[in-house]
Amino acid sequence: MPNNFTDTIQEKFDAYQQKMASTPEWFQALFGGDSIFDMVFNNGLQTAGVAVTGWLITTYFERRHITKLTEQETQLAHIRLSNTDKFDETVSEGIILIGSTVLVHDIFRKLIITIKKIIGGNVRLYERLTMRGRREAIIRLKEEAQLRGLDQIINIRLTTVKISGRFLSGIAMIAYGTGVKNNTKNH
Amino acid sequence: MIITNIDNVPGSIITSELGLVQGSTVRSKHLGTDIAAFFKSLIGGEIRGYSDLLVEGREEALNRLKENALTVGADAVVNVRLTTASIAKGAAEMVAYGTAVKLSRIEANAK
Repeated sequence: MPNNFTDTIQEKFDAYQQKMASTPEWFQALFGGDSIFDMVFNNGLQTAGVAVTGWLITTYFERRHITKLTEQETQLAHIRLSNTDKFDETVSEGIILIGSTVLVHDIFRKLIITIKKIIGGNVRLYERLTMRGRREAIIRLKEEAQLRGLDQIINIRLTTVKISGRFLSGIAMIAYGTGVKNNTKNH
Repeated sequence: MIITNIDNVPGSIITSELGLVQGSTVRSKHLGTDIAAFFKSLIGGEIRGYSDLLVEGREEALNRLKENALTVGADAVVNVRLTTASIAKGAAEMVAYGTAVKLSRIEANAK
């Protein structure tokens, strides 16, 4: 049996070297090797390279999203939000407004999340994702209010739902409330 | 047709309640959206296709709510609640329900 096992590794190493021979020289210098140890080490290096690059790219997109959210939040800061159904006597119109978004986590951090779920506790990466989604949903709610010329949103309700696609599932964040217009500001 | 998610309609008073009305829809997207979503999941972030699914779905649900309210002769629907559930892979259900009411306008408060 052990002999068989070594043979399999040797076969795989041969296939690896054949594959390497058809790659450019700089690639061979970086990821090629003379022994089975080199094969294992360099494959690990490749995997780590992809993981780190993926991490950097996704972190960049996450940062960009957060910057955009902060910008939009400052632009829409004049629209008041509340969770109660009380409004001033000057209010003359009200209409339901809805904002929603569907977000999905990147695959590069899935492994970390899987490990974290075995240990238990707060899953930071998911917390960050849901916070981004909720901010985005509230911003869309505010944008709709601005389009209709309303300046306050009351009785806001927030919901989180898992939306299943055919290949993956995303997290849907829905925010809805009643947009009202205060007439005192016009005078 | 006025739709709010609070107990009343600003600027009006409720003269009579006509009971519960609801509208619901189950929607799905074509296969291409799911394939695009798969590629988008490599870097993470928003999936436009599924966001659109939610927007279209609840518009449909709210339209059906309005139709339902019109058949009972309502002026407005108050206390509307929205629920979304993923009932099968690739399909989501959206439900909107509320109370249909008859209104009378308060002219004094409008000023």
